[in-house]
Amino acid sequence: MLKTVPKTYQSPRTVEEAVQAVSQTGAAILAGGTDLMPRWSRNLSPRPAALVDLKRIEQLRGVKLVDGVVRIGACTLMSELEADPLIRAAAPILAQAASRVACPQIRNRATLGGNLCNASPAADTAVPLLILDATLEVASPRSDGVAMREIPVAEFFHGPGRTALQPGEVLTSIRFNPLASGTFSAWDKFGTRPAMEIAVVSVGVVLALARGEVTQARVAYGSVAPVPLRGRKAETVLLGQPMRGEIIDRCVAAARDEISPISDVRASQDYRREIVAVMLRRMLENAASH
Amino acid sequence: MPQATELLDLAFTVNGEPVQLAVSPFSSLLDVLRENLELTGAKRGCGEGECGACSVLLNGKVVNSCLVLAAECAGADVLTIEGLTRAERLHPLQEAFVQHGAVQCGYCTPGMVMAAYGLLLENPSPSEAEVCRALEGNLCRCTGYRKIIDAVLAATNGGPPHD
Repeated sequence: MLKTVPKTYQSPRTVEEAVQAVSQTGAAILAGGTDLMPRWSRNLSPRPAALVDLKRIEQLRGVKLVDGVVRIGACTLMSELEADPLIRAAAPILAQAASRVACPQIRNRATLGGNLCNASPAADTAVPLLILDATLEVASPRSDGVAMREIPVAEFFHGPGRTALQPGEVLTSIRFNPLASGTFSAWDKFGTRPAMEIAVVSVGVVLALARGEVTQARVAYGSVAPVPLRGRKAETVLLGQPMRGEIIDRCVAAARDEISPISDVRASQDYRREIVAVMLRRMLENAASH
Repeated sequence: MPQATELLDLAFTVNGEPVQLAVSPFSSLLDVLRENLELTGAKRGCGEGECGACSVLLNGKVVNSCLVLAAECAGADVLTIEGLTRAERLHPLQEAFVQHGAVQCGYCTPGMVMAAYGLLLENPSPSEAEVCRALEGNLCRCTGYRKIIDAVLAATNGGPPHD
């Protein structure tokens, strides 16, 4: 095996080199390493035969506005996202979620792409990206090099730790349209302490209102299903309706209905349902009084 | 499982000194600092990024050295607690920890100091809330947070903390 894998640690400089390296037998991608390294030290994952470190690929770093679309390189750090003026203006919920990941030490290493590809149902940045309707750009191996393909974030998560990525593919960037000014957006996660917490649940909302009626509604939840979940039923309740008590009640009931949380060491199923209902209700009442 | 046996040549800077050595591809920065370079200030607590005892600065940013592969540090600039002391003189931030009794068993202290140092590099006059946030990834099991926060705030009030 080591014959086909010339070097255990590789740090390619281009996406093409990375895709080629990742396509080797037994190769694994290293981004921030904050999920991978604990898994190795706890022996939950075997150490790969080759490790392809993406952090030295310039193209995968940073935030840009191109033709009115926000594009974030997959290896952009959480600490960069939380401080980035463009992200704070165009997608404050993403800046906020990035700022609530673990602690400064982790935020200085963990990457947006890594948070997505690790595919935890509790991934902090997944819920904001779901309600931003983000598109993921992926480099795929081809016999003659590399081809790009796109995956809507809502189709990216296939289960805990499982994604739509095929062998050899590398997530290169995440893009979305900035929220229109005047759009209401909120995101929050719940846990027993504000820092170093895997979300017991998280909820995000984006709403646009015109003449008292909801013209755009996006809702998403984390830690309540095998994948971060878009709240299509809750959205349907809101669309075209006035933001008042009865509609909010129906929306919260739809949310309770469309999530399927589990009971685990951090919270019971019932408790998770209850907290989602409380958080969503508060966000909607906030939006109504905006 | 195939285990790597080859060693990588690694050149980087530690506390201002150029260092060159051969490391295993899966050695953490913490392992290399403690075992190869005998810089035992950074401590191994949890070994998985939960406790902050191994905090060091990597290119000016605080990180958990247990979560960084040494191999990733080629060309990097690493600062450990040992690098804060000049000519046997404690750094003003360390001095503030001593004066405020912000040390009990001492195991978390190097990590606390480095996390605070990382904060002061970016924000020389933080609020108490900002100090708390900067230390959110550093656990003290002697319950000494109040004195630690006081020490960091005192170091900021005494003027710029850097040499």
